[in-house]
Amino acid sequence: MRKMDKSGLLHGVWVFGDYRNYFQNRVTLQLIAKSRELAETLGTRVTVLLLGEALHRYAMEYIAHGADIVMVAEHADLRQYQVESYTSVIARWAEAFKPDILLGGATSFGREFFPRLAKRLKTGLSADCVNLAVDPDTGLLVQTAPAFGGNLLAEVVTLHRRPQMATVHPGIFNELPHNFDAVGRVVYPGIEVEADMKVRVLRSRRQQARGGNLEDAEIVIVGGRGMGSKEEFRLLFELAELLEGEVGATRPVVLAGWADEERLLGQTGKTVKPRLLISIGTSGALQYTTAIRGAKTIIAVNRDPQAPIFKMTDLGLVGNGSAVLPLLLETLRKRM
Amino acid sequence: MNIVVCIKQVPCEPTIHIDLERMTLIREGTESTINPLDRVALEAGLDLRGRAGGRVTVLGMGPPQSEESLSEALAAGADRAILLTDPAFAGSDTLATSHVLARAISRLRPFPDLLLCGMKTIDSDTGHVGPQIAEELGLPQVCGVNEISLEGDSLVVERLSDGFLDTVKVTLPALIAVNRGLCPVRSLALGSLETAFSQGNIARWGREELGLSEEEVGLKGSATRVQRLLTPAPTRKGEFVSGSARLLVDRLIGTLEVLGLLDEEDG
Repeated sequence: MRKMDKSGLLHGVWVFGDYRNYFQNRVTLQLIAKSRELAETLGTRVTVLLLGEALHRYAMEYIAHGADIVMVAEHADLRQYQVESYTSVIARWAEAFKPDILLGGATSFGREFFPRLAKRLKTGLSADCVNLAVDPDTGLLVQTAPAFGGNLLAEVVTLHRRPQMATVHPGIFNELPHNFDAVGRVVYPGIEVEADMKVRVLRSRRQQARGGNLEDAEIVIVGGRGMGSKEEFRLLFELAELLEGEVGATRPVVLAGWADEERLLGQTGKTVKPRLLISIGTSGALQYTTAIRGAKTIIAVNRDPQAPIFKMTDLGLVGNGSAVLPLLLETLRKRM
Repeated sequence: MNIVVCIKQVPCEPTIHIDLERMTLIREGTESTINPLDRVALEAGLDLRGRAGGRVTVLGMGPPQSEESLSEALAAGADRAILLTDPAFAGSDTLATSHVLARAISRLRPFPDLLLCGMKTIDSDTGHVGPQIAEELGLPQVCGVNEISLEGDSLVVERLSDGFLDTVKVTLPALIAVNRGLCPVRSLALGSLETAFSQGNIARWGREELGLSEEEVGLKGSATRVQRLLTPAPTRKGEFVSGSARLLVDRLIGTLEVLGLLDEEDG
């Protein structure tokens, strides 16, 4: 490793810089903003790690958004995001510069790569955090992560080992505005890259959406077994069409053959985060409700006022779905 | 092909009990099941055995009653089951858990060609243990796999990752963490379950059998601590209406208007 001004590089707050596309780049900017806050409390610097090729413009962008230092590894074999090669480069940097904190986005890649990196560094890792703060008494990073199926939040600390590592849920923190006057350093510590011959990506293509666009839908209408029959369940598709939404289903409905498996919501199915979710004839089993927790507004219709679904609704309507739904369709059609 | 499937027993009830001293889940007295994605991994292992021959070993770690999930795996068709259990393992975080599992796998003869697990569990949802086992054993890993095909001493797999469908070739031995959709899960005949439970042929390995010190496992071997558990603040409005279908429909439409999803009616 080249000799350099190590005083500025030791014990910082590090962010894994993921720039692959718009979404992941935003997550990196969000992490830089949070890291600024943490670094100022701890009296240290924010360093963004950048691996790949032709990275200058990302280095400039990250400095403009709050990074003090951008640590760059440029190599053709780092162009593709790969767990093994990325782990070896960053593990060596971490051993040399001993960061206090190391954060990454809870993207698919982040959630595959950070566990391996944490293990190599023999340190702790928390998953998909929704908050980060420095404990004023201990100086430890308090990592708030969902636990036990999202029913609880756990405050996790990494006691003695370093770095304190966490993956962070996308969209939780707000990025800082672009500051054209920002000044930062770009450093190129020496690297050794071994191409990963054991894992090779042969093809990569944008995913075809399946089962409608359930996961991206702004409005989701869900029916449960309380809908009564396949014929009545079909009315949900008419409602979804009127509201330009998508239809989701619970496990019993899929098992009964009223809806395709692609529409299954739940722990073994899809998770949705729409603006509005209308849940009709669903009792509210935990395996289903964990998948809809992220919805902004939840309206439920169910005959049983004691149904657990009503514990998580913004508007709970006690009534028979098969009476409410036809009347709702009729009323909406008259207005449109 | 020698295949090891790592399975975790998870609670299937909505009620959960927490040990506030240890900040861990109390598993006694809750109904449990094989973590759904680990069940998919098991089916994938059995399917590969059908194509390539060999043996499927299921490996679980947890308190003695985790035996139930291993019996279930034997009933589904696994050849051998090993439970890693020791009071000293309690409170292990993912770093310590992966250490125990990796140690057990390293003791298997012959060394497995393929390790399978679910890409995450429904109770803790970290997805850490698979990649951390692979790291400790120096094996390549692919996570989020939806499809597996055999190609000589490699696997060609498909995985969904950050909006892309990747076709990946991985050299064996390797760890594959599976996603839903890889294999349909068959339901078990009650008879086969009863037979598996009554046979009781599940090996048990503890800390000493695995040659692990007390410092390597449990709370002592863990890098992280849960210092507090919080209940997420209820953010829902929780309005509650009962009455005629007409009344309910009017309230529902009123909410759609407030959310700006419908044009408000004139007059």
